[in-house]
Amino acid sequence: MRGLFSVLLLALVSAVSAVSSTGGRLLVVLEEHSEREKYGVFFGDLEARGFHLTIESPKSESLSLFKHGERAYDHTILLPGKSKGLGPALTANTLLDFMKKEGNILIALSSDHAIPTSIHSTLLELDIHIPSDKGALVVDHFNHDSNKAAEKHDVLLLPFPQALKPNVKNYFAGEGLIAVPQAVGQTLGNESPLLAPILRAPNTAYSYNPKDEADIVEDPFAVGSQLNLVSAMQAHNSARLTVVGSAEMLQNAWFAEKATLAGKAVKTANRDFAARLTEWTFKETGVVKVGKLIHYQDEGVSKKMNTSLAIPEHNPTIYRIKSDVNFQIEISEYSQDRLAPFLPAPGDHVQLEFSMLSPFHRLNLSPISQTANSTIFGVSFKTPDQHGIFNFRVNYRRPFLTSIEEKRQVTVRHFAHDEWPRSWQISGAWVWIGGIWVTVAGFVAFVAVWLYSAPTEKSVKKTQ
Amino acid sequence: MKLLQPFVSTLLLVGSGVVSAASSWGFDDATVTVQAKGAGVGAGTKEKLSPNTPLSKSVSLGATDTLKLLLTAVDGKKAKRPHQAFLTLTDPTTGLEESFVLNVKESGKGKVDLTHKDLPVQFLTSTKPIVASIVIGSFGSSTPYNSKAFELDIARDANVPLAIPEKPLRYAVENEIHHVFRQDPQSPSKMITIVFAVGVLAAVPVLLGAWATLGANANHLGKAMGAAPLSHALFVGSILAMEGIFFMYYTSWNLFQTLPAAAVVGVVAFLSGSRALTEVQERRLAGLR
Repeated sequence: MRGLFSVLLLALVSAVSAVSSTGGRLLVVLEEHSEREKYGVFFGDLEARGFHLTIESPKSESLSLFKHGERAYDHTILLPGKSKGLGPALTANTLLDFMKKEGNILIALSSDHAIPTSIHSTLLELDIHIPSDKGALVVDHFNHDSNKAAEKHDVLLLPFPQALKPNVKNYFAGEGLIAVPQAVGQTLGNESPLLAPILRAPNTAYSYNPKDEADIVEDPFAVGSQLNLVSAMQAHNSARLTVVGSAEMLQNAWFAEKATLAGKAVKTANRDFAARLTEWTFKETGVVKVGKLIHYQDEGVSKKMNTSLAIPEHNPTIYRIKSDVNFQIEISEYSQDRLAPFLPAPGDHVQLEFSMLSPFHRLNLSPISQTANSTIFGVSFKTPDQHGIFNFRVNYRRPFLTSIEEKRQVTVRHFAHDEWPRSWQISGAWVWIGGIWVTVAGFVAFVAVWLYSAPTEKSVKKTQ
Repeated sequence: MKLLQPFVSTLLLVGSGVVSAASSWGFDDATVTVQAKGAGVGAGTKEKLSPNTPLSKSVSLGATDTLKLLLTAVDGKKAKRPHQAFLTLTDPTTGLEESFVLNVKESGKGKVDLTHKDLPVQFLTSTKPIVASIVIGSFGSSTPYNSKAFELDIARDANVPLAIPEKPLRYAVENEIHHVFRQDPQSPSKMITIVFAVGVLAAVPVLLGAWATLGANANHLGKAMGAAPLSHALFVGSILAMEGIFFMYYTSWNLFQTLPAAAVVGVVAFLSGSRALTEVQERRLAGLR
């Protein structure tokens, strides 16, 4: 008994220490073992959060992202190295396969190092573009650290990013300034909704190649806020890939460094930002999970909606047209190490579609109650006056949040013969109903007259 | 001292341009020209730009016009070639930005040409004038320059259709859809219905009245009841009961309740009817009908 208890306790403890919602096996690809010290604090922070780090060189024979066809690691960090290629274990195809199996990747670039072709083509595949020439970096004559980059202006000092849009949750907020040294800028393709910028360059920044002899920038790769310093891609299966333009910003040297912005002494908050970045990339934040999904007919006894999770998920399979239906869904959000109630950003709504081919209803779900680790969203509506096979569909896709796609199929039948209003309830029918009863009365009267009428003088005369 | 601090800092901010005037970027001899297509040199409108204050009136750029910005970049007082010399256009409503690189010569003289073709479609459709600012900066310690220069009014030829690219898909909240229900069947106003229903019901007294004038009566009731009381009572009763069954079927009964009842009443009507009608026949044969 005691042994069983300790095993249970051990399982519980190990479950608690694995912070990410998808697992803690983290592969760090770093070419120079000596460079490990430079990222010491970064690695230490990750280990403290419960990740199990495996640091491998891309040249290592044993390096493989897969084992027996399954992911060998849950997350990968690719740090820049000296060599131009990453070897057979880390081709663009394997990286994409890793993402197809829901592995998360953090790619750090550096303008000091050549960008391996496999990373180049992976990013190109995802419609993230980086300058093709080696050494291109982002400079800004307005927001640079005048301590370390007084002449070159290539260490940008930026505030933490604002929310992408007012109705998008910001998982990267913080206090202080982020130093972005020698960054490789990225631009994002306009077509894909899966791409999102995390940290944009300030609007006076531009990307140029210091190896260009010209002393004026003539054809910059990208300019201003179209240039991203950190960008993200979240695939349809919610696998995440983050591109960090500057690997140096993850190094100890910049984690809490004194810097000067426009004559004012500041301290860089890169450690915080690195934590925010890895938390998001490795699915410690921005992960939403659906619990119970209930729909039921409003019997009209009480128009109040059920707000508890006590009723089981036995959903009816058939409804009648024009009947009142209540729908509710339980959503929680994974926040660092536990599930918390999920609430969308202000101005954003989780929406329910009641659809047959196309939505007949698309309704905003409102939070109706909260439990310790979930929010119950609900809405009530009337089924449309169209019979057929319908779906309750919640398709919630937002930047930086894993996607929710829930579907419940129901039949919507039309009125049964005894569910229509009776004819006397229809005022227009009264004339016809009156006609029938007049006929009945006339018939009965005729029978009586035919049976019991005595002949009169007049009629006797007539028959003669 | 505490009170003074913001004051000092604003002074510093204001003064930063003056104090470090020796090493701050700016421009001189800046002009912006809008020239219509085919017009001769110097035919277009020409405005002088000052580095400290933006142009008071907005510059209008027509569909076939070319905007020409000429300036000499200066570092302090000396003309110099900066690394960055941009004309940045900003849409004030959306915040969209686009920068155009000035072609700056060794002497610091820079120029950029702008036509509708160079502008992104969002600028062409913008309802508010677009803010144009000049950004000049370079490496080293000189303070860079970034200030609004003028407002650009895009005049578009309404007759020329614009190829607006389709909005790319972005995940965001979508508009709500509420199903529009078909209209319920309507009845005419109750007054009209009642008038006609009363008209229909009035047919009964009219019919009875007409029969009465023709001499219909029930004088033989006593005679018939005297001759065959049971069969007459049952026959008339079963006819009334059949109507009652129809009424029950109309209001509440189903077919399986109706049919047995109708069968019983039907048999009674058949048996008692044959007796009752025999009595009627006897009256006829007696010459009483």
